[in-house]
Amino acid sequence: MKCVACGFEGPVDKFRYLYNARIDASMSMRQCPKCNEWNAVDELKDEALEIVNPGDAPWGKSAGIEGISA
Amino acid sequence: MASCNECKSFFSLEDDDSMGDCVRRIVDPRQAYYQAKPVEADNDSSNCASFQKK
Amino acid sequence: MATTAKEIKEFEEKQEWWWVAEKTRSSRLDYLRKAVWKKGALGGNYAPGIEIDLEFPELYTETWQENEGDPIMLRKAKSIGNVLENLPIFITDQSQIVGCVGSAPHNIVSYWQGASMINEEIYNEQGILPQPEEKSLERLAALNEYWGGNTALDELAKVLDPEDAVKFMSGAIGWGTPSSAVGYATKDFRHIGKGFENIIEEIDENMERTDKLLRGNPSPDLLPLYDKLPRWEAMQEVLDAAIEYAARYARLARIIAENFETDPKRKEELLRIAETCERVPAQPPRTLQESIQYDHFVQVVVRYETYEGAMPHRPDYLHGPFFDKDVNINKSITRDDALDLLGEHLIRTYEIGIFSPRWTREGLQGITGTWVWTMGGVNEDGTDACNDCTTAYMQVARLVRIANPTFSFRWHPKVKDELMREIFECIRHGLGYPSLRNDPILVENAMYWHGHPLREARQWVTQSCMSPCPPTKYGCQPFRMASATANCAKIVEYTLHNGYDNVVNMQMGPKTGNAVDFKTYDEFFEAWTKQMKWLLNILVRTVALGRAKDPEFFSRPILSAYYERAVETGTDAVDYTNGERGNAWVTAFTWVENADSLAAVKKLIYDDKKYTMAELIEALKNNWDGKEEMRLDFVNNAPKWGNDDDYVDDIMVQCLKTTAAHGKEIKCVCGNNIPILPENVSGNIHYANVVSALPNGRRLGDALYDGGISPGPGLDKKGPTAVLKSCGKIDHVLDGRAFLLNQRLSPTQLAGEKGYQLWKSYVKSWDDLGMDHVQFNMVDDSTLRAAQKDPEKYQEVIVRVAGYSAHFVDISRKTQDNIIQRTVQGLG
Ligand code: SF4
Repeated sequence: MKCVACGFEGPVDKFRYLYNARIDASMSMRQCPKCNEWNAVDELKDEALEIVNPGDAPWGKSAGIEGISA
Repeated sequence: MASCNECKSFFSLEDDDSMGDCVRRIVDPRQAYYQAKPVEADNDSSNCASFQKK
Repeated sequence: MATTAKEIKEFEEKQEWWWVAEKTRSSRLDYLRKAVWKKGALGGNYAPGIEIDLEFPELYTETWQENEGDPIMLRKAKSIGNVLENLPIFITDQSQIVGCVGSAPHNIVSYWQGASMINEEIYNEQGILPQPEEKSLERLAALNEYWGGNTALDELAKVLDPEDAVKFMSGAIGWGTPSSAVGYATKDFRHIGKGFENIIEEIDENMERTDKLLRGNPSPDLLPLYDKLPRWEAMQEVLDAAIEYAARYARLARIIAENFETDPKRKEELLRIAETCERVPAQPPRTLQESIQYDHFVQVVVRYETYEGAMPHRPDYLHGPFFDKDVNINKSITRDDALDLLGEHLIRTYEIGIFSPRWTREGLQGITGTWVWTMGGVNEDGTDACNDCTTAYMQVARLVRIANPTFSFRWHPKVKDELMREIFECIRHGLGYPSLRNDPILVENAMYWHGHPLREARQWVTQSCMSPCPPTKYGCQPFRMASATANCAKIVEYTLHNGYDNVVNMQMGPKTGNAVDFKTYDEFFEAWTKQMKWLLNILVRTVALGRAKDPEFFSRPILSAYYERAVETGTDAVDYTNGERGNAWVTAFTWVENADSLAAVKKLIYDDKKYTMAELIEALKNNWDGKEEMRLDFVNNAPKWGNDDDYVDDIMVQCLKTTAAHGKEIKCVCGNNIPILPENVSGNIHYANVVSALPNGRRLGDALYDGGISPGPGLDKKGPTAVLKSCGKIDHVLDGRAFLLNQRLSPTQLAGEKGYQLWKSYVKSWDDLGMDHVQFNMVDDSTLRAAQKDPEKYQEVIVRVAGYSAHFVDISRKTQDNIIQRTVQGLG
């Protein structure tokens, strides 16, 4: 897997597992061992998708009727 | 030797003038307040940076 | 520049309630609210400028050392007396209520007599030592050297069963300190309200009577009386010291008025503070200001004795008659004046700061303790106890917007619509409180589990976040929950791994068999039951021993003076032989993971046989790594709690009933039952790295569910009625002591009158289904994500975490995400 921020490459388990914000989604957050950035990772494909910054939620909105609040 | 009872901040107890409160106004980053700390009247105040003669 | 009504309306429309509060509150409340220091740890650290008070432990230790020969309660009373009489005090500009724990507004305190490990932690804590740091480290080293090995917990460690102690202290199976050094106690306000001088007089009479007996005919009955005398002396000592502490404030207020203050109005206020402090707590209060000041002194003074992390309390009930007399009958003060006093009451309470060790800071992010004030409810005769003061507290809470204390509202069918509207406004303004408690259910529950008589049960207060306790002579609970807090997800974890804990790497629970060998789900559940019993037993055993030894190792002179039964019998308030009825419970953290995990095991292993137990255990041991598809199968294709699905709901009820049956077998030190109480504070985050991967699909590291009986975030897919129906299958009287339910609602959907009506009919369904608790978050995703991005701009956004509220920006990212991912339920 390749870190989106610094390009470090290594097996997925080398990226420290942080947490999964949505238990029913395959996207979790893992930390790059080189640059420490938080990568959003698709666990089905072992692929880092983007860097997660404060306020970002790559896994989407909360469930329910949040859509009407936006 | 100066002592607390000669200081402006010293207020003796009504029933015991050997004791009193050192009352100071303090302004911290959030608020202003008065603080009272018990002190003895003949406490040596020569090292106290806040001493102010009455 | 003054804010116009139009601008306020705009803030309201944008639901920027913090601006509405700031622009509409009085200038006094605005000053005091901004003046108060934030003392809860923010994401694990204390805010810049917060300092540990070292004068307090030094004064305490000095007297403690001088009185080595005294019995513990007397020795402790003298030490507290020295603190109350000599620690610096302060009065903040514009304030009308005085008293603080610590010698300056930015101080937090700690109790060196409590636990060496906390003392050591303070030594190593960055950023909280007074400058110069080198000097502070010297002072701390001297304190730590004296107390090291001699604190209450050090003493307790010597008598605990070594195996139990290791498991208890491992941090894996539960939390809590089996000592009054960290705890919470109900206050017997009917007794305390007599005035401290009257209690001193009562003690005098008890001592005189005992003295006479001791000079009479010798008999073995006389021998215990000798120990009572120094305890009574200790109680008098602390009551006298508390009166002197108040007198010091009176003196300071007069000094300021007569020597410094030039504003005649403020002078008058200072003189009123002086008169108030000359009156209370020595004598019973006569006015609203005296009543609040009395109450505040009671709470502050006891926090010079120990870390009381909760505030069982019913302020509207206590202050309501004075509010009514001053505002409505005599009209001696205006309603706005009264709101200033109530608002300051909240602020002064928020100001109390006590050092928390790191593990507590994670579990209780952003606050000092769970100071949940109980409001509303009924009188002893069952009539409505809500009053104008209840309404005023709701109104002023929206103006000061603090996260601690929060309110728990005892809802019952006679609560008037006007008051329900005030409550809804607090929720709509995003405070996350009051939580709603179903009074008739909880009164019945208190009678069923602990045998409290009806008239006492009707007086209940929230002992910590959730559990009701009557604040009466024999109902008062002096020692935390007198039992324990269990990390319940470990029950199913140990069932799967034969009692072995793969996170702390030790045999923790009993060997209930290799799960691969269980032929049926019933066998699996039988092992679960054994693990559950083991977990409750070890925790309760340990805490019970701590409780029994507490008067010997820690001692509570102030709390004893506050307890009628202790004053009457000359015992320590914590002494379990003085008539206490018992009100113990086990707080069940991380509970729902059991139901969802058991359902997944039953469905996918035993019913559908889609996977073998060996495959599951292997996947769990590897934290689901490389098994994402299988993990998602366990999440999405096994029934989940909160969707009105009998498959999993029956399992939940079975778990609760099995545990409730055990709750009648195990007994607290008073001989009473110990039900469980599912709730989490923020233990779901604390335990994220302690609970291993589970069959509900979580990995080690993921937040656990937000607790109580709340469904997993995002897993309650069938709407709020389905959640209520699932929760309604639990018997909220027979199956446990109380059940926390978090619900997240949409501020957009619930805007205006229509929103109120939707919410009100939700409350009706909640009551119809016989539930005991619900609390609401009503802040939308976009505001919370914006607060993550730009925390400075959103300092005042509050969220309901669990049994408490916190400022959103003060909690960790993981907790923030966990809250945002809760399902936003659409009502109607
Ligand atoms: S301690 Fe210092 S400021 Fe206070 S009374 Fe003494 S000399 Fe004055």
